[in-house]
Amino acid sequence: MSVPASQMWTVASYVLRQRLTRKKQYPLVLMLEPLFKCNLACAGCGKIQYPAQVLKKNMLLEKALAAMDECGAPMISIAGGEPLLYPQIGELVEGLVERRKYIYLCTNALVLKEKLEQHIFKPSKYFSFSVHMDGIREDHDESVCRDGTYDIATEAIREAIKRGFRVTTNTTLFNTAQPLNVREFFDEMMDLGVEAMMLSPGYSYAKAPDQQHFLHKGETNKLFSEILLNPKKNWKFNQSPLFLQFLMGKQDYECTPWGMPLYNNFGWQRPCYLLQEGYAETYKELLETTPWEQYGKKSGNPKCADCMVHSGYEATAVNATFASFKGFKDTVAATIRGKP
Amino acid sequence: MADEKGLQGWAPVISGDMTIERVIDLAFDYRGNTTIVKSDGTEVVGYIFNRNKGVAEPFIQIFDEKGNGPFTLLISQIQAIRFTGKDMAAGNSYAAYMERKQRQKETGIAEPLNALEEEA
Repeated sequence: MSVPASQMWTVASYVLRQRLTRKKQYPLVLMLEPLFKCNLACAGCGKIQYPAQVLKKNMLLEKALAAMDECGAPMISIAGGEPLLYPQIGELVEGLVERRKYIYLCTNALVLKEKLEQHIFKPSKYFSFSVHMDGIREDHDESVCRDGTYDIATEAIREAIKRGFRVTTNTTLFNTAQPLNVREFFDEMMDLGVEAMMLSPGYSYAKAPDQQHFLHKGETNKLFSEILLNPKKNWKFNQSPLFLQFLMGKQDYECTPWGMPLYNNFGWQRPCYLLQEGYAETYKELLETTPWEQYGKKSGNPKCADCMVHSGYEATAVNATFASFKGFKDTVAATIRGKP
Repeated sequence: MADEKGLQGWAPVISGDMTIERVIDLAFDYRGNTTIVKSDGTEVVGYIFNRNKGVAEPFIQIFDEKGNGPFTLLISQIQAIRFTGKDMAAGNSYAAYMERKQRQKETGIAEPLNALEEEA
């Protein structure tokens, strides 16, 4: 598992502080979508199907930073849409670095090289590009519905690493994923020099074009068990080992929908990053007025039945690390042996 | 009634089971602009991005067709909603994507990715 020590310490001390103050609902990562506009239209994405006037909207920089200040999470994931198309992306990242937040800028990297050449960003231990890579060349291009994207993205990754930036990848897997191909992909990313990889099964967005290839729970367990069986020593993941165990079916968790809250041009999304059932004006209002008992596996809500996405369960896994001696021991053991 | 996959162009008549609350739920889930008819007969066109029925004065929120907003409208002041804008989530099935990909391969012409490209 690979997360810089300073980041690990920041997150660990934050979670411990929440637990010591007996705070039951707290955010771990703010998911920020400063725009919906994207330069791709991936088959498994349900985030960008809006009328033109909505796609044209860019969040005010002050609102983005205020959302961060309000929720107080130690980490932020800037998503979208394609965040590199956000006109004030440089200022946004700078403002977040000043706040000492750990930033993952999720990008398809199609315009990353161009942005690097414009010197919009400065390398920082707080800042990482999280490049969307869904597999080996053929699988990635198929997933994002455009040929040539794998090559553009890998070239941009090389350039970013060369310039001293932290670079991670984020990978969404569907039921078309072939374990051997995914393992080959891990090798490719490690050879490229990425710091670590993040994995998640896709969520069956109601508005996504492709409804046929989302994974059901049993399929997710089988797929991730095959992929992560005997992991190579050099594979690095920037995720809780307990979350990876959960994907493999070795842990049974309940969702923590408020753990990675989403803020976008509509407000704070209820109840989570994936389901879109309304918006609150503030994070406080989101916490206090969302009927949380209606969501998660236990609720029997069919929309939650097969969801095993990191935005709901990574926070649960991190919390589990600090909730009991067993959780802590399992995390330490998996970290030491490098195997979830 | 049009089914949920074919709401575009639908102008539901409010009566019986088709309450304004039901139409608002459908409109909230719709990824296109709608025309909202207020009790005073005036109309506003926009994208409904929020609805909250669990408060003392239930409301919806919209961005109008120029992107201004958000504007809040009380549900009690809405008479009807028509699904007048293009549903941006319709016609985007995986099968449609595969057909589009094949067409692009044959013609070499890229087709619009989204509403912005369609507009351009």
